[in-house]
Amino acid sequence: MSTYARVPLIGLWFAFLALPLAGWKNSLWIGLGCAAVVFVVSAARASAQSGALAGPAQRIKTGFASAWGFIEEKSYDKRYLSLFLLLIIALPWTLDRYSTDVLVITGIYVMLALGLNVVVGFAGLLDLGYVAFYAVGAYSYALLNSWYGLSFWPALGVGVASSALFGIILGIPVLRLRGDYLAIVTLGFGEIIRLVLNNWDNVTQGPNGILGIGRPYLGEMRLYKPMHFYYLVVVLCIVTIFIVNRLDKSRLGRAWAAMREDETVAECMGVNIVYTKLSAFAFGAAWAGFGGVVFSAKQTFISPESFTFFESVIILCMVVLGGMASIPGVMLGAFILTVLPEVLRELTLFRPMLLGGAMVLMMVLRPQGLLQAKGQRHHLERDKPESKTGAGR
Amino acid sequence: MRDKLFTVLTILAAAAFLGTAAHAATLKLGVAGPLTGDQAAFGEMLKNGATLAVEEWNAKGGVKVGKKKMKVDILWGDDRHDPREGVSIAHKFVNSGAAGIVGHFNSSVSIPASTVYAEAGVVQITPASTNPKLTEQGFSTVFRVCGRDDQQGEVAANYIVDKLKLKRIAILHDKTTYGQGLADETKRFLEKRGVKPVFYSGVVQGDKDYTPVLTAAKQKNPELVYFGGIHPEAILLVKQMRERLGMKAHFMSGDGIVTDEYYKIAGKSAEGTYITFTPDQTKLAAAQNVIKNHRKRFGKEVGAYTIYSYVATNMILSAIQATGSTNGSKLSAHLRSKPWNTSLGKLQFNKKGDVLESPYVLWQVKGSKFVEIK
Amino acid sequence: MFAQQLVNGLVVGAVYALIALGYTLVYGILQLINFAHGEIYMIGAYVGIAVLAVLGTMGLTQTSLALSIVLVFLIPMIYCAAYGITLERVAYRPLRNAPRLSPLISAIGMSLFLQNYVQVVQGARDKAFPNLLELGSFQLFGAYVNGLQIFILVLALGLMAALQLFIKKTKLGKAMRATAQDRTMASLVGVNVNRVIAVTFAIGSVLAAVAGVMVGMYYGIVNHHIGFVAGMKAFTAAVLGGIGNVTGAFLGGFLLALLESFWAGYVSAVYKDVFAFMVLVVVLIFRPEGILGGSGGEADRT
Repeated sequence: MSTYARVPLIGLWFAFLALPLAGWKNSLWIGLGCAAVVFVVSAARASAQSGALAGPAQRIKTGFASAWGFIEEKSYDKRYLSLFLLLIIALPWTLDRYSTDVLVITGIYVMLALGLNVVVGFAGLLDLGYVAFYAVGAYSYALLNSWYGLSFWPALGVGVASSALFGIILGIPVLRLRGDYLAIVTLGFGEIIRLVLNNWDNVTQGPNGILGIGRPYLGEMRLYKPMHFYYLVVVLCIVTIFIVNRLDKSRLGRAWAAMREDETVAECMGVNIVYTKLSAFAFGAAWAGFGGVVFSAKQTFISPESFTFFESVIILCMVVLGGMASIPGVMLGAFILTVLPEVLRELTLFRPMLLGGAMVLMMVLRPQGLLQAKGQRHHLERDKPESKTGAGR
Repeated sequence: MRDKLFTVLTILAAAAFLGTAAHAATLKLGVAGPLTGDQAAFGEMLKNGATLAVEEWNAKGGVKVGKKKMKVDILWGDDRHDPREGVSIAHKFVNSGAAGIVGHFNSSVSIPASTVYAEAGVVQITPASTNPKLTEQGFSTVFRVCGRDDQQGEVAANYIVDKLKLKRIAILHDKTTYGQGLADETKRFLEKRGVKPVFYSGVVQGDKDYTPVLTAAKQKNPELVYFGGIHPEAILLVKQMRERLGMKAHFMSGDGIVTDEYYKIAGKSAEGTYITFTPDQTKLAAAQNVIKNHRKRFGKEVGAYTIYSYVATNMILSAIQATGSTNGSKLSAHLRSKPWNTSLGKLQFNKKGDVLESPYVLWQVKGSKFVEIK
Repeated sequence: MFAQQLVNGLVVGAVYALIALGYTLVYGILQLINFAHGEIYMIGAYVGIAVLAVLGTMGLTQTSLALSIVLVFLIPMIYCAAYGITLERVAYRPLRNAPRLSPLISAIGMSLFLQNYVQVVQGARDKAFPNLLELGSFQLFGAYVNGLQIFILVLALGLMAALQLFIKKTKLGKAMRATAQDRTMASLVGVNVNRVIAVTFAIGSVLAAVAGVMVGMYYGIVNHHIGFVAGMKAFTAAVLGGIGNVTGAFLGGFLLALLESFWAGYVSAVYKDVFAFMVLVVVLIFRPEGILGGSGGEADRT
């Protein structure tokens, strides 16, 4: 059967699936849309096989690769780096307060995504409850500030420490678990934290959240404008990038990578799995705490509804979309997922749906993400773990 | 080649800084709420009310500020009922020089946004955020034309004690800011009147089966079950009370359950439910004009919050015209200074920025519709 | 109160059990947590509403109640089977040899997609599930029992028995067991593994569809969120019973629902979900093979 004979059938099939929920008119469009997508994909595949498109496709591919290589090379060139920094520093002066505020949120997400990347990307532990640590950081500052008037800078330390502590608390019981079991337990953990925050009225004010969280001071200057927070976040992001980058290249980073590739082999090679796992959780959580403290200082109001499972999924999406274990990739992912919804406001309703679809497509078509991590580049191509299949096809 | 690229990039960066937008001579009014997303229906009410008011002002040539008349320009802010978006939008409004804000819709958004407006000295009137905390923060710039949840609780408690004369009350809430606030206020006022609830518990919002907690409540033989929350949970609670557990107790709730779905889905079980809600606006003499104009302009009837949004918009614009200024402290002083004749009748603000008189009355589900109890 | 809480728990248990079967079947064969399974259940409920709407306009709900009831279950079952098979084909089959995180992330994506697809096409507001079956209620040991509750329990038990028969007696059921034990070997002895996997997804989805329609009939109200929570609970139930173990999942469903019901009734209604998640965490940590022991815990798999 030719590939193209399938196209109308697939279209019909999806129209059939959509029929009872979407109504016949929408179903028709959905069917046509699916057929079109399948047609384009199979046409592209066919011509790639026959070699008709090999030239241009190859050129696009190498174009991308060389552009990326160029950026990578330049990012170590001090002149370009300082120009880029200058741009970042100057940026809020050309933008209005709103756009600056969006960039502040982007910055917080960059921190969060980089932190999750330590757990998921570097150490290969799928954490679906990451937002819990973010909440711990945010609430530590909010509570300590409203009870004891603790100011921002010491709270930053306390928030990071308590998040890291929670990371270890979560880490100890799940040491034995792998893969999807770990994912589910972390998901449960995230939900538990959110539900406790929502229900422990005496301490957390329950669903009402905490109001009037203090603004940070820098000497005598009260930081409250988006521009102030912008610079604060930029500094913290740079610190994060610097440390995460160092971690990746450190002994610990190599231990994480070894554990990610094969826990048993890593252990045999002398990697201390307990220490390695716990440190991954602790480091990952610490950045979430960082982000959380900044978030509550910026918002001056936090409530449990900011820390739902969907938030964990979005942060995970940033890591997956950008490219697991790749620092610039993850930053790109965070940038895309916070700025794009602002640009495409009309699509608000479709955003979670598109996110979900993007995650599936990314896994099926480009599991390494937009920007592939350096160390994995050779690796992933032949990374086909021994499988139990062999049948089918 | 390397150096050329570097120069080009530097020049481009420098060029990006050139060009700043000039400010036009219009009066800017920020209107914010969930304009898109699952609560867009509320956003539309907000939008239509404000649009109607502004169009009326502009048809008369605009708002007189000092000597010259200025046309009013609405800045729309879509907060998607997300607190973070709300703060971003607040910054956007402040940045573009909005003279006043109508919004936001949800309390959870209005509260964080109000900090930004207060810090910038911009007047904010919300047409719909009923959480007491909003005006308890001590900001002079915050006002609301709608009621407060605690006023609703007071009306409910008084009705239970004075009219229904019931002693055994069970209180449930959905653990949201709105629902728990409502339940706690009702509880507080009941206790003030000497009635201590026999059962008090939260329930999990989004859950489907409430029989376990209802069974526990049933043990205390309540004569009335009060629920703080919104209609999906209320439907399930009242259905399961009647159909699964055979409970005969009265059921009472707040304005969060006032939707047609409530009596349509709960059917027989919903009959007799008491609700605290605002008086029927469509019957107000003062509102007839707005209702007519709204029908003409948008081809449909006003929603529950359309008139509130219309009134809030008018108040800000009239205050600007009266004081001849867009200064936040002048405006808020003026707003507090006198009773206002509005399409919702006479309104006066107290020191906190709340309306003086409690706008709530009792309604009941009778014959599959909501009926105001006279 | 005890008897009433027992009744409360059993009905919820039937729903958890039916959904848990889908998780356990898929896990037994693919060692994959089908994260989107809860959404299939939600779609089942929505298709049920659509069917009822059509039947209502045709007047069939008045003229032939029995036929309406059969159709209101049958059509969602067919649809959900189709959804399940498509889900597997689109989101999981291409990833069968990928690193283990990939199908899991793809599953989360699919769950997000389906949930929000339904929100987009059906709206975010709660939907009414029209009342089809009016059954009276009676008192038993001080507990109110409703005819619908008995109907639901009987249906769930019947389906469980049918599933057991299918797995034990039919050729396809044997192929399923063979595939669960060793996929490679099964393919060597002539089992069409892809077909078996598709059938597994279809069966799981059919059971989820029944659960969805049951929930719609019982509570009368449905929204696009129900899949997530129910999915999590059912997954917990499957783990509790020993994931990969069919009887275990069924028992786990009832056990979890009863625990929840008593916890909510006697201890705290607001911490009900915290309790359920705690059960999940504790079981996974201390007895990952569950109460009945699964087809190999996770210890021997990477």
